[in-house]
Order: sequence, then structure tokens, then C-alpha cells
Amino acid sequence: MGLEVSTPWQQVLDKIRTWARVNSPWAIHFNSGSCNGCDIEILATLTPRYDVERFGIKLQGSPRHADVLICTGPVSLQAKDRLLRIYWQMPEPKFVIAVGSCGLSGGVFHGCYNIVHGIDEVLPVDVFVPGCPPRPEGIIYGVAVLLEALKSGKRPERTMTVELPAGFEMPQAEVRQ
Amino acid sequence: MNLTIHPLIVLLFFPGGLFLLASGLVFQWADRKLVARFQNRVGPRFLQPLADVLKLLAKEEIIPEGAHRGLFVALPIIALAAALTAALYVPMFGVQPFFSFQGDLIVTIYLLSALTISLGLAGANSVDRFSLVGATRTLTQLFSYEAPFLLAVIGPALAAQSWQISKINAYAGETTWFIVAQPIGFLVALVGLMGKLELPPFDAPEAETEIVAGALTEYSGRGFALFRLSKDIELVIGLTLVAAFYLGGIANPLDFVLKTGGLLLVMALLQTAFARLRIDQTVGLWWRVGALMGLVQILAILAGIYIRQWWL
Repeated sequence: MGLEVSTPWQQVLDKIRTWARVNSPWAIHFNSGSCNGCDIEILATLTPRYDVERFGIKLQGSPRHADVLICTGPVSLQAKDRLLRIYWQMPEPKFVIAVGSCGLSGGVFHGCYNIVHGIDEVLPVDVFVPGCPPRPEGIIYGVAVLLEALKSGKRPERTMTVELPAGFEMPQAEVRQ
Repeated sequence: MNLTIHPLIVLLFFPGGLFLLASGLVFQWADRKLVARFQNRVGPRFLQPLADVLKLLAKEEIIPEGAHRGLFVALPIIALAAALTAALYVPMFGVQPFFSFQGDLIVTIYLLSALTISLGLAGANSVDRFSLVGATRTLTQLFSYEAPFLLAVIGPALAAQSWQISKINAYAGETTWFIVAQPIGFLVALVGLMGKLELPPFDAPEAETEIVAGALTEYSGRGFALFRLSKDIELVIGLTLVAAFYLGGIANPLDFVLKTGGLLLVMALLQTAFARLRIDQTVGLWWRVGALMGLVQILAILAGIYIRQWWL
């Protein structure tokens, strides 16, 4: 993973790191202009009935604490900058799951003038969960697919390859005196 | 139980250092599991807290622009150090505290407050409105629960005529349990402990529905992991302290496990049963009810001591 050197010590460390990463995916949820159907399903996924804490999945409020960005919606032009900002606020390594038909292709909004048509146009998406909206089981399966890919090392750890959109400035922290 | 172990082992492995970190993780797991069971869920696996901490340690740490870098890096370490140091004075795992002197009760409570203050400073230091609001609430809560909690732990100390945790622990083991003699003090201490740990009815400082994640909003990776660890250790210390004072002292490991486990069960039930209080409700509850009840308890104890002296 990180370093090129593969001493036994390094391999053990990598194993531990992968184990920890696979067993504790903390999620943050972002709605980029979805109709809210998928978001209701995501919230249903987090209820005691499905109990995703069994797998270590926890919903975090702050993007700084999250590993997985669970994103819905066709990315409206208004939401695009916010989505990018949330993504950049997350610390590496980070993963993106696109939930719902809109996140895949624009869904019912396909062809609208005010959307970007899918999350993968903006961010590198790891897992797509189709459905309008997908059932909670589907969303859990999506996360399981991501974790399986992480475990087998199929998903290479990538650095930021997303281009800044023209005219987009990373918001600076305001310093209060 | 009295053991003689090399001081370095005491600091690094048992009962400080590694043992303390491990017990903190186990208590965090027990707390989460109990809350999950009360909510009719299955709950996290046993190694969940360990996985969380390791994952956070392996993550990137982002230092926000505008924050004081040194403070931002140092505060989690100070918090963890304060928690680890405080644990040396309490009868951890039923073993006599290795470092004990007259007045270590005050030092322990001070060190636990140092943890909360570094949390507040961390929030105020990272330039973010949410962490600033979180820091304000953390410190407001500190000022409200600290007095009642202190009054509640003073009760057994007055009865035992000592400021030394090990002596109070031994005295509590000899007499009837203080929970019977001082029920109000026990209640205030238990609820005060929940306020100290920012557990659910009193989690306004980290209310994720209002202020993202409170004081720790800007912390990622290592800093967040260390703050979480110090919170877990504070949970262990707090439970040990209340169990030692009010539940008849902690004399051996079995005592420790049973009594702190029982306390944790009650605390998990309270966490599940109550919804979050607003910060002004928290302050009102502590000062109007908690502090008054604590004072009444202290007065009753003082009166009891004087009457006993007068009669004998």
C-alpha cells in the first residue's frame, strides 16, 4: 500500500491497517439535489432494525471523521461545489458510494439543464448502488462490496485526481481576530 | 490487594499504560453494546473500538488553516496524559493505587477536569464555528457539573476523614455501603459522571444534529483517536471512583468488574431512557437541583459527624 518497501514488518502493519479500515467504516451522508427518497432509505438503514453498527458502520456528523461519503442525487449545479468541498474536507483514505439511480446517471432528472448527471462526473466513485430508491439491504450490500474490495486490495489507494472545476476556489478558513 | 511491581512496569503496562488503554476500549465496547441491547439491536463486535482507534491512527491528520499548529497537535496528547495520570491514583482493577498521598482525590479530579479543559481549548483553537460553539458548551457544562460532582465525592471523604482515595476506599469497604448511607450523594455522583463524560442526556456539547461534532469537529485521524481514548479512560476512572466510594470499595479484581459493570449497566439504561437536554437545561439541572442536593447531603453528613462526637 503506502510504502514500496515490503519488509515483513511492513506487511504486518499493512494487514493491521486493512483490518482496522475494513472493520470501521464511518460514513457521512450528503444529498446533492436528490428527491429525498434515497436519503430516507439511508436513514432507514441506520435505524435499529438494520443495525449497521454490527459492521462498525457509524454515521458521523463531521466530514473530518468520516471514511465513506454516501452520496445521493444527480448533483445539481448548486450542490456541486458543496459536494466537492465536503469531499476535500475528508481525510485520506476516503471512499465514495453513490446511492440511487440519480447518482448513477441523473435518473428521472436526466437531460435537465441544471444537473451534472451523476456523481462520477464530479468525484471518483467506488461503488454504485442502483435503485429508485434502493432498499436498505441494497445500501448495506453496497458498503459490503466496498469493504470486500478493500479487504482483497482490489481498490488501489488513490490520491486526489479530481480536477478543480474552472473558477472554483477552495474556501479558506476565516481567521477571527 | 497489595503488590510490589517495578515503577516502570506500573507506568507502561499495569495498571497504567497498556492495561488502561485496553480497559478503556473494553468499557467503550461494553457501553455501546449495552446501549445497543437496550435499543433492541445486536450492537458492535468486541474488537470494534480497537478497529476504530487503529483506523483513526492510520488516517491523514488535517490541521485546519488559522489554527495554532502546536496547540492543535499537543492538546490531544495533554488530554490523554491527564487521563492516564489520573488513573494512577484510583484503585484500578482492585489493586491498591501505586501512587498515593494525602489529597490525591483533589489531584485526580483536577486531572480529569484538565482533560475537559483541553477539549474546550481544542474546540476554541480550531477555527470553526461549530467547534467554537461546542467548546463553549463543553466549558459551560464543565462549570455546571463540576461543583455537584465534587460535593458528591466529598461526602464519603468527610465520612472517612481523609482526602486519600485509597483510605476512603478501605473505609468504604469496612462500613455499610455509602449508597445506603448517602443515597443522594450517589445519585449526584452518578449523574455528574454522565455529565463529565458527555453521555447522552448531557451530550449537548457534541450534539451532532446541531453543531456537527462539537469541539472535535476539525479533528481527524490521530488527534481524534487520542481524544476518544482519553474519554474512554475517563469513563473507566469515573466508574472506578464512584464504585470505590459508594459501592463499598474495590478490594479485588472481581469486585472491580462486578461493581463497575453494574454501574455501567445503570448508566447505559439512563443513556437510552433520556433524550438530550439543551445546554441551559443542563446548567439549570445541575445548579438548581444537583448542587442543592449535594449541599443537603454534605450538611447531613456534617450533622451526623457532630452528633456522633457529641454523644460519644
